Amino acid sequence: MSTIESTLAPVAPPKARAKPGLSPIDRDERRLGFALLAPAFLLLFGVVVYPIVDLVVTSFQLNNLAQPWMGTPFVGLENYGRAMSDDRFWEATFHTGLYVLVTVPGAVVVGLGLALLANQPFRVKWPVRLGLLLPWALPLVFAGLIFRWFFEYTQGLVNNALLMVGLPAQAWLTDPTLAFIAICIAIVWKTSSFVALVLLAGLQTIPRSLYEAAEIDGAGKLAQFWEITLPMLRPAIVVALIFRTITAIQTFDIPFAMTNGGPGNSTETLAMYIHKTTIDFLDLGYGSALAVLMFIVSAILTAGYLRYTRRDPSARGH
Amino acid sequence: MAGIAIRHVEKSFGRAQVIHGIDLEVRDGELVVLVGPSGCGKSTLLRMIAGLEGVTGGEIAIGDTVVNDLPPRARDIAMVFQDYALYPHKSVYDNMAFGLRMRGSPKAEIDTRVNEAAEILQIGHLLDRRPGQLSGGQRQRVAMGRAIVRRPKVFLFDEPLSNLDAQLRGEVRVEIKKLHQRFGTTIVYVTHDQVEAMTLADRIAVLRGGRLEQFATPYDIYNRPASRFVASFMGSPPMTVVPAAISADGHHIALQDGTSLPIPEARRPTVQAASGRPVALGLRPEHVRPGEARDAGDVAVDARVEVIEPLGSETLTWLTIGGRSMTGRFPPEQAVQPGQTVRVTLAMSRMHLFDGETGAAIAA
Repeated sequence: MSTIESTLAPVAPPKARAKPGLSPIDRDERRLGFALLAPAFLLLFGVVVYPIVDLVVTSFQLNNLAQPWMGTPFVGLENYGRAMSDDRFWEATFHTGLYVLVTVPGAVVVGLGLALLANQPFRVKWPVRLGLLLPWALPLVFAGLIFRWFFEYTQGLVNNALLMVGLPAQAWLTDPTLAFIAICIAIVWKTSSFVALVLLAGLQTIPRSLYEAAEIDGAGKLAQFWEITLPMLRPAIVVALIFRTITAIQTFDIPFAMTNGGPGNSTETLAMYIHKTTIDFLDLGYGSALAVLMFIVSAILTAGYLRYTRRDPSARGH
Repeated sequence: MAGIAIRHVEKSFGRAQVIHGIDLEVRDGELVVLVGPSGCGKSTLLRMIAGLEGVTGGEIAIGDTVVNDLPPRARDIAMVFQDYALYPHKSVYDNMAFGLRMRGSPKAEIDTRVNEAAEILQIGHLLDRRPGQLSGGQRQRVAMGRAIVRRPKVFLFDEPLSNLDAQLRGEVRVEIKKLHQRFGTTIVYVTHDQVEAMTLADRIAVLRGGRLEQFATPYDIYNRPASRFVASFMGSPPMTVVPAAISADGHHIALQDGTSLPIPEARRPTVQAASGRPVALGLRPEHVRPGEARDAGDVAVDARVEVIEPLGSETLTWLTIGGRSMTGRFPPEQAVQPGQTVRVTLAMSRMHLFDGETGAAIAA
């Protein structure tokens, strides 16, 4: 008894943690903690930190696989300077911005509609949920191919339908404006189901009693939507907006499969231009600089959203 | 202001019938409590009055208007929900103003009424906060405030105190009673708590399995329960009810172990009709006292003390009498110990008799 007490005695009153005076037990705990975290750190470093650092380094080099004899000399901001005076870069950026402006709100509006529909008390729920999941689960490039067939000039479903109701067939994929519209429709179709899933999860957290209280308070269905559903859904909408915006900035697969950026470069996005620069033209240095620029734009936009959510107390859960 | 008439109302969910034809007349300005165990249909009945549930059969009228087919917003009622159902994204002020705003009341009037209600409920300093920043008791007050600003014909309360701790519950109970006295609005109040029912109600409707067991004043519910169920549901600790049999001449009642207790003369005529049939004898704990018989009709018996529960003001004593467990209220200074045999008096003049099969009270 007495020996146990005497060994425990100095440990028993836990003093305010003086750093150098870490007890052997605490030190062991800390070492074990680092050891257990090490694999995760290494993995993160390997798949996130290293590639990004390598990308940034490459963007400061002249690195063109078509000119291997030039080596990979450091050229400072030359690649960035080249981007600033590259019309095709600005065009691709402008197209990307347009896709963001059209397809992000588009997907949120359509997604909200789908979520409200799926939230109705259907007797059998799974077909509705499956219908929501299918476009989301489909690979992007397949969605692109499917819509390319839909909008095809001579045999496409859309022109077929137009002809049936007596309207002229349209050159969907060869007219710059129509091609842009067709691509936007495909993107909204493909991405709104993900938005709908996020918003459906949000809808299901709204207690039914709020609607009952509102009904007694005299609010009609429309007022209930504006006064309860929409404000309560705001946090979920912000989350959906962030995800949708980031993926919209990176738009690649669907225009790639539908028009490959054509006609001309009229539907080319930044991601497609980067792809062409690095894979087709083998200019890794310039392509990396463009990729870094795109990364910065994404980071700024995301930070903006996050600041917005942090500022508003009601956007956080309760 | 208006009364509520519930005429042979029925409710089914699919094939399951949960309300089996209830008739209930709530007078103008009356506070009626619907009470019963969970699943008895009390909340469903309240939600039918509110219009949140449809009526399968029968008729509900508020004032002179049959409201069966009216949506909740057209019934001129206000409801306080169990979870309060405050709008979390709106301030306290906006929560209270919402009903008036939806009805298009002028801004100045909304302002006056919200401030007035806030003052009555002492939540004036909370008007800018959101529900998430309030304590349970404060949210409760806001929920009541939202109801009273509307000045509806009828208030409906759905277990409004069940999320509060015991002390707060007592305070808010008094608050609700004050509100009722102040406004005199008809109130229908649902609870499973019989203390709430007794303390608040002008009249209590005891429900069981979708049927009305008894509708009467708290005094009558307690002292003249219509059935064994009402008798044991209302009162804490509950009335002890034991199986018994009445002698042919109606002079004695025998417990199952053969213990025979004389029936007070005044009760004999009404009791005699039940002789030969199985009955149940009920005694409230306050009618099982320690000591020898003092008054006419009292019967003293020996009882074994099983468990004592000292409450300070009294000691609940669980006894075995005639082979059956009974509860007595003993004065706190009465020192008894478990295992002890004590002399107790049964106030037989206050006994309740129920039909052994149907549970219906045999007229006192």
